[in-house]
Amino acid sequence: MTTLTYQRPTSLREALETGGSDGARFVSGGTDLMVQRRSGRSGTENLVSLRRVEELAGIDWKNDQLRIGAAVPLAGIGADQRIARDFPALAQAIAALGSVQIRNVATLGGNLCNASPAADTAPALLAYEARIEIANTGGTRTVGLDEFFTGPGSTVLQPGELLTAILLDARQSAGSAFMRLGRVRMDLAIASAAALVEIEDNRCTHARVAVGAVAPTPLRLSAVEEILEGKAPDGPTLAKAQAAVDALISPISDLRASARHRRRITPVLVARALEAAISMATGDAQ
Amino acid sequence: MNRVTFTLNGRSTVAVVDPHKRLIDLLRDTLGETGTKEGCGEGECGACTVLVDGRAVNSCLYPAPEVEGREVLTIEGLADSRGKGLSPLQQAFLDNGGTQCGFCTPGMVMAAVDLLRRNEHPTRADIQTALTGNLCRCTGYVQIFESIEAAASATNGGES
Ligand SMILES: Cc1cc2nc3c(=O)[nH]c(=O)nc-3n(C[C@H](O)[C@H](O)[C@H](O)COP(=O)(O)OP(=O)(O)OC[C@H]3O[C@@H](n4cnc5c(N)ncnc54)[C@H](O)[C@@H]3O)c2cc1C
Ligand code: FES
Ligand code: FES
Repeated sequence: MTTLTYQRPTSLREALETGGSDGARFVSGGTDLMVQRRSGRSGTENLVSLRRVEELAGIDWKNDQLRIGAAVPLAGIGADQRIARDFPALAQAIAALGSVQIRNVATLGGNLCNASPAADTAPALLAYEARIEIANTGGTRTVGLDEFFTGPGSTVLQPGELLTAILLDARQSAGSAFMRLGRVRMDLAIASAAALVEIEDNRCTHARVAVGAVAPTPLRLSAVEEILEGKAPDGPTLAKAQAAVDALISPISDLRASARHRRRITPVLVARALEAAISMATGDAQ
Repeated sequence: MNRVTFTLNGRSTVAVVDPHKRLIDLLRDTLGETGTKEGCGEGECGACTVLVDGRAVNSCLYPAPEVEGREVLTIEGLADSRGKGLSPLQQAFLDNGGTQCGFCTPGMVMAAVDLLRRNEHPTRADIQTALTGNLCRCTGYVQIFESIEAAASATNGGES
């Protein structure tokens, strides 16, 4: 199916009005959509470009609260020094995503709305407990990212609704990290993991762990977090956390790896992400 | 059909294009600028790399109507803008065996332009990262890295 029109709204209101009409489809960086259209997986008729919508274009801080517009190219987020410092797992995930050419146009909004179980930014954003701002012609609402994904390629977004921003709170004393394994540098992850911890008096007071590409959606591992919280961040605790991963994931076999391989490597990636997060939180050499 | 007005290699350009066409179709088929190559058509190989508003993008993934009001630089614009032969970066590819069959070369050169504009003296690792999205089936990449290093060490980022 061919595109009949290509619209370039400049305001959120205009984008929502054109995007709400029959057969309309939002396009941001187009790095998922243009590939899907080529392989006939998308029957889009009317594209509504988000690239010029002013409300989606900014990176804004209010004290420790960060708001990233859904249509900011990943390269812009990756180049932001304060994001690299306060949200290193997100910066690491972006550095691992695609190529320079892809990151120059691809967006966070697109990575999340495409809802691939392997979306690289999702585990990091889950570990940071990101909230998602959604707009429709009636107003805006906010949902936790852990409630956003409903299955492979599907989210809570209703037709015509826009993801407008990703909202994050910096935890100044936390350490965090992202780990991923791919076949080659430029390929979707076979599996990925992100971890965030806070340590006080040699006890883990706060832990968040999430994984990608090993379940129908990117996944928070609450049971692993519970094992860590209140314990010393030492070898035995990490071993328990690592051992708990297998029961929580449901990987499939595909062209990138077998389910069995994914079951072997995911606990290791979780442990490595935790180790990196712990050494950052405790100020060890990085 | 969409009418788009944009700057191509420094010249104001008006074209009429189907809304479902990609930038590479606009360049090659509508405007006859065939320096930009199509390899995979899926963002994997980088042969189609051009600069839009100064940043390297895959023109096979870029909707043609999106160039409205923007600046596009293609491989044709490197030599043309000087009016006297190849740019130093292009010459460095020739001098250092950075091109064999030549199919990947326009994309490699444009990705290198993007790199050298932001980082005048890249390390080997910087170059490798910058070319993650560019495949070459001939050279084995080493000569390409050397070409870019040669252009960079000829002081000013290799463009002028
Ligand atoms: C060569 C290549 C390599 C890649 N490598 C990786 C990788 O390593 N890791 C990875 O995770 N991904 C990768 N991708 C996938 C893709 O680049 C990312 O998912 C990217 O972040 C998508 O963003 P986009 O802006 O280009 O999305 P688009 O293609 O513009 O949109 C994707 C989908 O989301 C919808 N959408 C976009 N924005 C919004 C919004 N604000 N509100 C509502 N709906 C919206 C669109 O309608 C579409 O359905 C790769 C893609 C390519 C082509
Ligand atoms: S043709 Fe565009 S990346 Fe291969
Ligand atoms: S020179 Fe032939 S593909 Fe690179």
